[in-house]
This record gives sequence, structure tokens and C-alpha cells, in this order.
Amino acid sequence: MKHSLIEISFPALTIGLYLLSLQLYRKWRHPLLTPILTAVTVIICFLVILDFSYETYMTGAVWIDKLLGPAVVALAYPLYIHRSLLMQYTFPLLLCIVTGVCVGVFSGLFFAQMIGTSQNVILSLLPKSVTTPVAMEITRVSGGMPSIVVVFAMIAGIGGVITAPYLFKWFKIKSDMSRGLGLGAASHAIGTSKALEYGSQAAATSSVAMTISALVASIIIPIIASWV
Amino acid sequence: MIRMVAIVIIQVLVLYSMYLAGTWIQNALDLMIPGSIIGMVLLFCLLVTKILPLRWIQEGSRYLLAHLTLFFIPVTVGVMEFSHVFKGKGLLLIPAVLVSTILVMLISGKLLDFFMSKRLRKRSNET
Repeated sequence: MKHSLIEISFPALTIGLYLLSLQLYRKWRHPLLTPILTAVTVIICFLVILDFSYETYMTGAVWIDKLLGPAVVALAYPLYIHRSLLMQYTFPLLLCIVTGVCVGVFSGLFFAQMIGTSQNVILSLLPKSVTTPVAMEITRVSGGMPSIVVVFAMIAGIGGVITAPYLFKWFKIKSDMSRGLGLGAASHAIGTSKALEYGSQAAATSSVAMTISALVASIIIPIIASWV
Repeated sequence: MIRMVAIVIIQVLVLYSMYLAGTWIQNALDLMIPGSIIGMVLLFCLLVTKILPLRWIQEGSRYLLAHLTLFFIPVTVGVMEFSHVFKGKGLLLIPAVLVSTILVMLISGKLLDFFMSKRLRKRSNET
């Protein structure tokens, strides 16, 4: 009885808090109110206060978790929709995206080794600029810890969105496509939602950058991980 | 309304089977690329070749992508088990990730800006 109650109430709590935090974000639009940050913080506080383990939470929440895989598959949809834009700028886009992935992976690797942290933390840090579900999959494959990469991906996502307007101004990144690309390549889905503020072309480029960099990263990172 | 819900559920199942197919390919060929990414590429190919009509997955995809955030909440909560990573020296990882993110955005964005302005100039020279 207790078990089935958990199986129902944890997914319900998760969905409820998600909807609530979405409302909160829509009202104030502050980057720090990014729905995932709010919802996760509240759930963790709830679990810690009521002394539930993560394992117990997952016995119920696993039903939401199961949709992560098909959600990544669904990214083929925007890619298909924007394929003509992609074709038009195939070479520059690909070059910029691959450069972005390499800059992210190698600078991350460099900083992490300078700090001198443990092997599996380093491995979990590499895919931080990749959209979270994919970053987790990459980490699972390369031998890091999927839960930790989520924290890094959130820092990359939220940090990127907060700094982007200043970076575009100071470094004179003018075209909408370039802004979208930068946001998608550095800050994945959170960046793509920010790119919408710069128009639909920026958003399209951003989702293309996010998808392609996920693809490139999922090929490059396991290879680099085997050298580390 | 009920019709719409049914369509979304069926289409999500189509996407889920793509995911399973991708995972199966990953295991069968012992690849390092995640099954979900293989599923995505598979779906893209099926759409481009018109084997799978867009309307078969359109509503389901829109629905899943609109709520992408929700699906990674459960895993993100797993962070609670790893708070020790950010203790002491680990705290430095946060600015490290930030600087790395800024570098990615700057370099990739600026590079595309460079290409775009070059292409525009070329175009205006031709006309």
C-alpha cells in the first residue's frame, strides 16, 4: 500500500511543481527562475525534510524519466523543419558548431585538470554544453556520472543565458543567426529558449546548433574520454 | 480533446519505438553513441526519405519538446546524492564551467558572424 502511494504521489508532485515553476517563470522571466532550477530545488528540499531517499523518489518518478529517450528522438522534428536553412549555410554552420563543441570540451578538460578533480567528475564535465538528456547519455557511455553532468549542464545553461546579452553587446555579435548559434552551442535547450527573444531565425539556428552539437559531441566525447 | 490526447499518446509511442530501435542498434553494434541520438538520426532519415510522414510524429514531438524540462527533473534531483563534489576544491568547478561556456558562445557566435558578413559582402559585390 505504502509503495503504490509513493508510485503515484512522486510523479504527481513532480508534474505539479513543474507546472507551478513554469507559471512563475512566465510571470517574471528572470533567468534565475528557470523552471528546472525552481522545481528541482523544491523537490530536493521536500525529500530532505521528509527524509526520503533519492531511490525512493525514483521508484515513482521513473515513469517521467522513461520519456527522456523519446524526447531526444523528437529533436529530429525541428531539425527536419529547418533543414532548408541548414542546407543554405551547411559549411559555416557545421564549422562553427564543431569549433564550439571542441572549445567547450577542451577548455572544460583543461580547467578541470588544472583544478585537479577526480576522473569521473572530469568525464561528467565534458558534455556540459550539450542538451541535458543527451549529455546524460554521453556521460553514461563515457563512464562519468549522469546526475553530476546535469548540474554542469545547468550551470552552462543558466550561466550562458545570463551572460549572453552582455557578450553580444561587448563583442559585437550582430546577426540573429550567430546569436542563436552561440546560445544553442553553449547553453543547449535553455539557450534555445532565450534565442526566441532574438526572433524565429535565431531560434531556428539555435535549435539546429543544439541538435548538431549534441550529435557531434556524442561522437567526439566518448573518444576523448578514452584518452583521459 | 480525447482524440488529441489519443493522437499524442500514439505518436509518443512511435517515438518511443524509435528510441528502442536506436538502443537496440547501439547494443547490437556496440557503439559509443547514445541510443536516443541514433533514434533521432533514424527518425530524421525516415522523415527526409518520406518513409514516415511528418504528421505521424508531429503532435507527439511538439508535445514532448514543449515539456522537455519536465522529463529531466527526475534525473536532476539525483544531484542531491552528489553534493560532496562541490565541497572544497570542487567549488572551483562552477566558475570553470562558466568560463568554458562563455568561450563556446563567444567563439562559435563570432565565427559565424564573420562568415555571414563575408558572404553578405560577396553578395553585394556580385550585384
